[in-house]
Amino acid sequence: MLDDIKALEQEIQNFEIKNEDQLEAFRLEFLSRNGKVQSMFKNMGKVPKKDRAEVGKAMNQVKVMAESRFEDAKTSLAQNDSKDLSAKNDITLTPPSYPLGSLHPLTQTLEEMKSIFYRLGFTIADGPEIEDDFHNFTALNFPPNHPARDEQDTFFIRKSDDPKVQDLVLRTHTSPVQIRLMENTEPPIRAIIPGRVYRNEAVSPKSYFLFHQVEALYIDENVSVADLKETLITFAKLMFGTDVKYRLRPGFFPFTEPSLEMDIWWGSEKEGKWLEILGSGMVDPNVFKSAGVDPEKYTGFAWGMGVERIAILRHGIDDIRTFYENDVRFLEQFN
Amino acid sequence: MKVSYNWLKEFIDLPLSPEETAEKLTLIGLEVEETEEFGSSLKGVIVGEVLEVREHPNADRLQVCDVDLGNSKTQIVCGAKNVAAGQKVPVATVGSILPIKLDDGSNLKIKKAKLRGEVSEGMICAEDELGLGTDHAGIMVLDENLEVGTPISEIFDLYEDTIIDIAITPNRPDATCHLGVARDLSAALNLELKKPEIKSGKVVKDSDYITIKIENAKKCHRYVGKMVRGVEIKESPGWLRNKLKAIGVRPVNNVVDVTNYVMYELGQPLHAFDHNTIRGKEIVVKDFDKEIEFETLDHIKRKCSPGTLFICDGEGPVAIAGVMGGVDSEVSDNTANILLESAYFDPGSIRKTAKEQTLQTDASYRFERGIDPDLQAVAADRAAQLIAEVAGGEVTDETINIHPTKTGTHQLTLRKSYVNRLLGTDFTTDAISNILDGLELTEVSKDEDSITFEVPTFRPDLEREVDLIEEVGRLFDYNKIPSPGHGIFVSSEPINDWEKLNQKVRNTALQLGLREIYSNSLISEKDAALYGDLENMIPALNPLNKDNSTLRPSLLHGFMKSASYNFNRKASGVRFFEVGHVFNKDEEGTYYKGIKEEVHVLFGLAGMKHTDSWSKEAESYSVFDLKALVNALFTKLNLIDHISSKASDAETLDYYWGDVKLGSLSIPANDLKKSYGFEQDAFVAELSVSAIAEALRVIPERKFKAVPKFPAFEFDFAIIVPQVVTAGALMNVIKDKAGDQLESIDIFDVFEGKSIGEGNKSLAFRLQFLDPNKTLNIKEVEPIIQRIVKSLEKDFSAKLRG
Repeated sequence: MLDDIKALEQEIQNFEIKNEDQLEAFRLEFLSRNGKVQSMFKNMGKVPKKDRAEVGKAMNQVKVMAESRFEDAKTSLAQNDSKDLSAKNDITLTPPSYPLGSLHPLTQTLEEMKSIFYRLGFTIADGPEIEDDFHNFTALNFPPNHPARDEQDTFFIRKSDDPKVQDLVLRTHTSPVQIRLMENTEPPIRAIIPGRVYRNEAVSPKSYFLFHQVEALYIDENVSVADLKETLITFAKLMFGTDVKYRLRPGFFPFTEPSLEMDIWWGSEKEGKWLEILGSGMVDPNVFKSAGVDPEKYTGFAWGMGVERIAILRHGIDDIRTFYENDVRFLEQFN
Repeated sequence: MKVSYNWLKEFIDLPLSPEETAEKLTLIGLEVEETEEFGSSLKGVIVGEVLEVREHPNADRLQVCDVDLGNSKTQIVCGAKNVAAGQKVPVATVGSILPIKLDDGSNLKIKKAKLRGEVSEGMICAEDELGLGTDHAGIMVLDENLEVGTPISEIFDLYEDTIIDIAITPNRPDATCHLGVARDLSAALNLELKKPEIKSGKVVKDSDYITIKIENAKKCHRYVGKMVRGVEIKESPGWLRNKLKAIGVRPVNNVVDVTNYVMYELGQPLHAFDHNTIRGKEIVVKDFDKEIEFETLDHIKRKCSPGTLFICDGEGPVAIAGVMGGVDSEVSDNTANILLESAYFDPGSIRKTAKEQTLQTDASYRFERGIDPDLQAVAADRAAQLIAEVAGGEVTDETINIHPTKTGTHQLTLRKSYVNRLLGTDFTTDAISNILDGLELTEVSKDEDSITFEVPTFRPDLEREVDLIEEVGRLFDYNKIPSPGHGIFVSSEPINDWEKLNQKVRNTALQLGLREIYSNSLISEKDAALYGDLENMIPALNPLNKDNSTLRPSLLHGFMKSASYNFNRKASGVRFFEVGHVFNKDEEGTYYKGIKEEVHVLFGLAGMKHTDSWSKEAESYSVFDLKALVNALFTKLNLIDHISSKASDAETLDYYWGDVKLGSLSIPANDLKKSYGFEQDAFVAELSVSAIAEALRVIPERKFKAVPKFPAFEFDFAIIVPQVVTAGALMNVIKDKAGDQLESIDIFDVFEGKSIGEGNKSLAFRLQFLDPNKTLNIKEVEPIIQRIVKSLEKDFSAKLRG
């Protein structure tokens, strides 16, 4: 008897149900009133009493299995049916594209710098791109006719022979905003100044006639080179990783004395090289005097760096002009 | 400036390799840009004898040579046609390095090779390949009497050096010569500086062979003249030629070479005149109040503006002072008597002339930075001495010294407290003395608190106490200054409203799926003229070129250009934003009178919103896509309830805060698009962030309002109006009449057709009313609707649609 039940179980399992017809055939074969499952139960009478419990249990299992096989097949066929209804009901089809906004790579680099400076307690300041000679040069200790002016080829907006009328220029650096800050606020001052600057230089993959700088200024009583160094190192570590290798060396800027430049080691231990990333120094007493700050009372540091330069380094961009072409195929790499 | 490592070693016993020297120079502020090998000792290049020359079996142009190297015989493949058996030739053996630069900057190293199947162990060299000349016509054939195996270095006078290229900062005129660089190194390394011995002449004011006059003592502080008689002009000896060639100076003749040599040695530019050509035996240093035309050594006739300083003889100008000499007084092969000029010219005057002539010479470079005003007689004596050595002749005993404007030394006091306060160090005055030792500052007095120094004349940059502190810092090495590691917390400065607004604008644009672009602020006049009257715009007076001459009056050009750029590269559509400064003339001005400089934001859409896909048909952007973005920005900025908009024409919608225009949304005309070479639909909105900031300063911050407890009451109605009436005008009236309970207003249908009459249109409005304290019902809303409809009927001949 038990063997018959086993055989039926096997038969139920092997019955092929691939469509509605076969499903109906299955029902008729096994689950209908005269189907094989009912017929099986009819044989119960022939089973000796002592075996009835065991056989009954086995028969029940077969029944449950047949029913569940039927239900599963029915559900599965129903699902297949609905899929077949429409070619568009296919989760693997391509979706419509969704417009993604993106910040320009220069903004992204700038934002990263800003976030570091925010953590160091700096605020942010800005100023005009058209400046007068006083703010762009003289107040920053570039005397008229000084060779240092040659290093910053200048676009002029207004030129006057009348000494009372200031020349107007496109600012060659963000440093004039230092003067504006000192003119308008009492120390302590702690701010960064991002912005667009202009140099009248021939265009090449390495240089463009406009670019962006970030300037940092900290003025208080007793600010020292040691403090500057601490800030520079913190910045370099946060910007380039805590294992960044750096060095400081003397530099020259008219508006700082002493002046320092920072290099970081770029590339592998063997193949790499020192790359200048920023210029810095202690605010020159002449700058303090021009802006009405007492150099005996206050000291301060300032530093500046090029946003393009850092972005080029980080992303391995080989032509600075790419930044201003606005090719979507370039921009979308910075999503 | 190119500095020779060998030359430096004449002044100081350098214990450092060229690379270490370069590193040290960089760390003390003389930044090394690159170091380069000059010449070669040609180690491994020896005399070989060609025994046999065979044709290369696999290459027409090559030959296979058997070469005797003395200790061994070897096979070398050679391409030169002149190679022949029996020749003695220079052979670069395997492992030797030739002075030939490869692409990666390294020198060619000879390796064992197989050339087209034939083994080649070494290279038979041409003259240029050994750096012995410029000839590359064929291999170099040597004297047949030379012994095979002799190193080439024993046959030729070879010169090897490392050239260190330093970027001299404008504050360091003292470092524009070898002695100056050596002085800095000696100070940093605590080594003795060995100066050349110079015998000084008898200083006189005049002499019978020349009269020197300085007419403008402001521009020429000092003029020293010195004669060498009976010289023989010829090629300089090897040591002099090599030294000059190594630093990139072309040897000319023995006299000119010496003047150059002394300039690179001591820093004093010198000029050698042919004494016989000096008319009237008189030198006058003067400027003119008229323009002068003058032909310089480089055979260019130059127009020099009034005030240019000249060296004149009895009849007229013979040199532009401090910049370049003239053709007529140049030293020639026939020159016998030399007059040396060693002068100090005012830096500003030289700079002005050099700039005007766009002519920077080694001399003008030094004069405009400010040379040592005490050096002129010394340098003249040194040069005269060297000329006598290399060109023969007799140095006159007198050194004529005209010195109307004297610069003395000055004293500077350095306070220990200021040094330590500025550097963050803890130096004693003794420690400071030690650090500065070697700079040739003279200590006048010293106590525990301060040191007073006399500053030598060759350091014009050391004017103030702080300048000396820089010397302390750079010689001590900034890397060694201890970082304080102070401050666990900093007291942060607050971020100002302007920055917050700018961040919000950018972030909103980002959320709205716009891509940021950066475009040029300097655009061409032609492009600028598309956006208004050039009279109202601001040009650069000295633009780089025509394409970048005018400051952008708005951000529109940048968008149109970028859209066009991308359409030309097969982009289907663009959605861009930009934030940037724009410039216009304006009487009042923003920062400066006459110039309005504002920050604007631009949103721009162009081309396809999406292309064909299985789920959607292709669709172009519409003006309403952009309008939705602009409204979203106003919403984010808490301005949406405070602004109004007005269509100034069918293509332009202006946004206002009260009477203040914040900006516009517009549809570029077809003509404008055509000038950028595209036809796709485009829509731009440009708002003044500066004006928005002004508005936000006044508009109160949004207060929290409880979420409504009662549902809104919705009421729909449609009206028929003449087609000329705009939706905006209707909504302004509806808003005005609806009162406080109006929560929102929407247009859900726009219809035109014969059924409502020619020239008419129907607009269907959906209004939502809300009362925070109760549920509104029709009884309460109906009177409001009646009020609205009445007004619309009156103002626009509107009819309620049944």
